[in-house]
Amino acid sequence: MAAGLKTVILLSFVLAVGFLLIILSCALWANWLPLLVALTFVLAPLPNALFGRFNADDFSAEYEGSGPADVGRFLTSMIVVTGFALPIVLAHSEVIRPAACVMSIIGGGLVYGTILAYTAAFRQDESDFD
Amino acid sequence: MSLPRGNYDPRRVCVNPFPNLSLDKHKRAIGVYVAGALFALASWQFWDAAILSRHTPDPEVHVTFVDWVPGICSVLGFIIVNLIDKDRIKGEDSFSGEGGAVWRARLFLFIGFAFMAGGLAGSIALHVLKYYLQEFPEQFLYYGYANMSQNVCFMLSAVILWLAQSSSSEYEYNLTL
Repeated sequence: MAAGLKTVILLSFVLAVGFLLIILSCALWANWLPLLVALTFVLAPLPNALFGRFNADDFSAEYEGSGPADVGRFLTSMIVVTGFALPIVLAHSEVIRPAACVMSIIGGGLVYGTILAYTAAFRQDESDFD
Repeated sequence: MSLPRGNYDPRRVCVNPFPNLSLDKHKRAIGVYVAGALFALASWQFWDAAILSRHTPDPEVHVTFVDWVPGICSVLGFIIVNLIDKDRIKGEDSFSGEGGAVWRARLFLFIGFAFMAGGLAGSIALHVLKYYLQEFPEQFLYYGYANMSQNVCFMLSAVILWLAQSSSSEYEYNLTL
């Protein structure tokens, strides 16, 4: 339990740093467009979580070939690439500064990595109880 | 003509059989992820060119609706190709008695791939006619390059998605046997 508590504290710290970087990248140049990156990365695991239920309810556990699960994976991967591409596109057309682009990409990567790591840790704990 | 006549099917289109890759389920998931990433990458490459064209001061040439047409064709072809049931293409008629379903599935597959190839060829033609032959500076040639790589990425995405899903249908087939 103590290790789980440490993991949660560490992950929340990383999440805070990620949001701090994104908000700094907006506030330092008074241009709030990079905030879309945070929204994108928060939305990224949503299709997988929604469409993953189609796999979980199936009674044959090892068969992982349903169409809805593939739709979820496709959408998730699209949203993740969108989150990385959006600041690059904005910086390329000189709407935001290159420094803001780099900061928002690093922040978004930290936020998404936190979500992924939290999901993985949670799943591991769940399988321990089984 | 020393073809193996044993498993010869007269309704087959090609001499070489349809490629069957036996990947496990994790490779299927990875393939779908890669296909989605390529799809988004293709879209963003073109949107980057469009946004850049909008924000460039006193441009000589704009990204107009003509530049959008090859991408729209590719997306239509992508949708058509991926809506086809993969088992019908192979012609293993465990469920279709008259073979009409196989014929129609192959026709729609052809239409889908024709749309995608048309999009790719259209993007190359657009690059040559609109940007390359007009002697624009390098800054504007980027719009044409972005359009071409957009359509190449759409086609790669469709191919990877097809391979990932068709490998899994073979896996399911083995399980149900």
